[in-house]
Amino acid sequence: MITRVALGTVFMVATLMIVSFTAIDEPARMAQFESGYHGRSVEAGAALYANNCATCHGPDGKGIAGRAPAINAADLYNGTRFKEIGWSGTTHDYVHGAIAGGRPRASAAFADYPQRMPTWSREFGGPLRPDQVNNIVDFVMNWEETALLEVVAEKPSDFVAVGLDLKDPVLPKGDVAHGEKLTQTYGCVACHMNPDMNVAPGPGWPAKYYSGGVSIAERAATRFTAADYTGNATSAEEYLRESILQTNVYVVPPYVANIMPKIYGEQMAAQDLADVIAYLQTIK
Amino acid sequence: MALFKLHVPILDDIKTKGWRSALVATVDQTVERITAGINIGEIRSILRGEAPRRPNPRVKPHADGFWMHMRPTFFHEQVMSLYPTFRLGWLTTYMLVFETITGLFLMLWYTPSPDIAYTNMLSLLSNVPFGLFMRDLHRLGAELMVMLVLLHMLRTFVTGSYKKPRQFTWFTGGVLLLLTLFLSFSGYLLPWDQLALWAVTIGASMAEATPVVGREVNLLVRGGADIGANGLLRFYLLHVFALPLIAFIFVGVHYYKVIIHGHSLPPGAEKVGEDTARKVPMERRLYFLPDVMTRELFWTVGWLALMVFMVTWGGWHAPLEPHADSQITPLHTTAPWYFLWLQGMLKLGDKVFFGVILPGILSGLLFVMPYLEVGPSRRYADRRIGLSIAALTIVIMSVLTFMGTPYYGVSSSPDQEVLTTLAPQTHPGLLRGTAYDELPVGEWVASGWNNAPSQGLQAVLQLYNQEIERYADQLVNAKGKMSITEIQAGLKQVTMQVEWENNGAHASEPLTVYLHRDSAYEH
Ligand code: HEC
Ligand code: HEC
Ligand code: HEM
Repeated sequence: MITRVALGTVFMVATLMIVSFTAIDEPARMAQFESGYHGRSVEAGAALYANNCATCHGPDGKGIAGRAPAINAADLYNGTRFKEIGWSGTTHDYVHGAIAGGRPRASAAFADYPQRMPTWSREFGGPLRPDQVNNIVDFVMNWEETALLEVVAEKPSDFVAVGLDLKDPVLPKGDVAHGEKLTQTYGCVACHMNPDMNVAPGPGWPAKYYSGGVSIAERAATRFTAADYTGNATSAEEYLRESILQTNVYVVPPYVANIMPKIYGEQMAAQDLADVIAYLQTIK
Repeated sequence: MALFKLHVPILDDIKTKGWRSALVATVDQTVERITAGINIGEIRSILRGEAPRRPNPRVKPHADGFWMHMRPTFFHEQVMSLYPTFRLGWLTTYMLVFETITGLFLMLWYTPSPDIAYTNMLSLLSNVPFGLFMRDLHRLGAELMVMLVLLHMLRTFVTGSYKKPRQFTWFTGGVLLLLTLFLSFSGYLLPWDQLALWAVTIGASMAEATPVVGREVNLLVRGGADIGANGLLRFYLLHVFALPLIAFIFVGVHYYKVIIHGHSLPPGAEKVGEDTARKVPMERRLYFLPDVMTRELFWTVGWLALMVFMVTWGGWHAPLEPHADSQITPLHTTAPWYFLWLQGMLKLGDKVFFGVILPGILSGLLFVMPYLEVGPSRRYADRRIGLSIAALTIVIMSVLTFMGTPYYGVSSSPDQEVLTTLAPQTHPGLLRGTAYDELPVGEWVASGWNNAPSQGLQAVLQLYNQEIERYADQLVNAKGKMSITEIQAGLKQVTMQVEWENNGAHASEPLTVYLHRDSAYEH
């Protein structure tokens, strides 16, 4: 009997030890399961996309002219598209809503497509289960990363980045219209053209979107002379150039440093930068 | 006369004996109350391994206590070694209780609705500490319980313990067998994954073939023509309420019968035709306290340790397939393993005869067997025919079980077989189990497996090639193509297609599999 009791105690202690080891590992295991499951969800979404969506939106999501808009496109993820329609939620919710409910009525921007976007979720009479809709959303949102980098991908082969200096190279003459377009492709508008000053991540460019009531053109012309200015600009152009390239040298109050991306020195050619600056100087 | 009198005896004791011995006496009394009759002195004596005084004070809990009154005060020492019971009945009882407890934990996180059940499983696994552990234990316990019941039945047959006067014990055991199988089967559906839906669909369609009542019973259980929200709710209620309740009642009846007849002695220990189980001589008695109880606890703890080990370091995990989808029929669907023999039987011919009538007769015979087989001797040497029939039954069942698997008599096109071996619909398989970076983008062919640039791809293509060669007689000059592209950041698309020439050129339907960097099937 003693052996039995002793051995039984050993079993019990061993069991408790294994359970405690398992306990230590639980948070990591749960996190691993979560990311694993997200991966499988994207896989399931890919298959559903190929079967249900590719015919209209193209196999790569680039859209098909005259049929359906691109959903693998920077403007969907950087918020430009939402600006036009005044949507203030997240891209994820927007995409989820569009897929689950469909678009029975054409939105102004896409009115020229002959067929409407169908309803997909069973909740609204569509063919897919809610979890399948979630799978597709995970798949679509998986484009975000590459879609946002697209600007870089489209660079011409003779591209020379403008770099970070304020005087070198000397900028060519800027093209205002092209500059305006670039602010959309680069996604500046998501932060600087938001009508709601309370949620905008950066200072609005038009006077009406800025709390001080002055436009970016006027601000650029005066700020480099202000007492609290910490940068090195000596002209309006240089101030804008510095703000875009060396974003942290002077941080516009009450905004914080490091929100604005520090990537434009590598992404823009001298002409691009000149165009953007020219455009900014025209904003009222 | 006082209407209300408060008396705290310990206060009197403290006055008369001093607080120390008063406290000891109170603790002693409390222990005696809780154990229904065993005081601290007796516990110490038990632990020291001393023989009980006469009359034996250790039988008192059997008379006074609720739990202990269900157990005999002593057993014949010959039925308390490993042979003849192998503790199988005890372990099965333990499993029933164990499943109830682990099941209660799982219930906290589960909603029986097709809309949410599967999501519940995912959050159980991703958000609940020890969620995976509990689910694995519950599932493992269910599988083990079925095995234990079958083994227990086998042993009671082999030792002839079903013979007079224990026929009814066997009969109630038969009811418990059915209950155990249906408990396990009804639990199968609850995760609402592909495995669940299709295993149960198969089971239901087998039952559907029953003449006269098949359709009605099915309608009643499934709550509709197909298994949907109603069916899930009904299975759930059967699983967590009705079946366990009935099972507990029948375990009570079963065990009561076992006790009133006494555990049967090993067949050789008594004269032929005699049953001496109830007449245990003084010197051969093994008292429940402490000997039987420590044995039972020992087995309980050991079995628990084994199960915990299996679901942790042993790597045994309950399966979870993709969400149930009645539109997608997996290539090979099978019933749970304990019903495979039925599925095998169905392949023999007529669905009604082989699927319902014959199994019906066989299980009916199982129940009444002790009333028909009335040979007086329990000795092995006298029961050569009976034991041979048992052995034969085991062999036949194994063969039928094998026949129930997809390896036997399922005709599907060989090209589809090849492709689904690489990427099965019911479990991850080799392709999905290969690490993301081991599958380089490009066009590959199965026969060129040894030139593949990574080990993982080599293994996949080698299996691909092997499978094609397996069907070489049908897939003449076959070429297994595989194209891998990266369609998104961290998402690859693998498309496979078999081409062959058998009276002209053929090409299989391409099979496309998507693999995400994070999906971690290899773990
Ligand atoms: C019949 C063609 C068609 C099919 C099939 C289709 N779509 Fe659309 N989709 C459209 C059209 C047209 C629009 C633009 C609707 C509008 O705003 O007027 C659209 C819009 C969208 C939008 C919102 C785009 C935006 O910027 O507002 C998303 C996201 C989307 N579709 C995803 C999907 C997914 C995912 C599927 C597959 C489940 C799918 N679509 C299937 C035609 C289609
Ligand atoms: C993620 C949001 C974000 C994006 C995208 C962004 N900015 Fe900014 N930007 C800010 C923030 C925040 C500030 C204020 C803090 C600072 O100066 O760094 C700012 C400041 C500026 C200023 C100075 C504003 C002033 O009031 O003086 C200019 C000019 C500017 N950004 C231009 C651009 C241009 C051009 C682009 C696109 C090429 C761009 N920004 C993209 C967030 C952003
Ligand atoms: C939930 C399922 C079952 C439980 C919990 C259970 C439990 C038990 C227990 C605890 C015993 C006593 C000793 C032992 O053999 O371990 C016993 C004995 C017995 N059981 Fe079961 N049993 C179950 C199923 C069955 C089945 C399926 C059969 C056969 C059809 C069966 C037939 C018997 C017989 C004949 C005995 C008497 C053995 C003897 O006296 O030696 N039982 N059962």
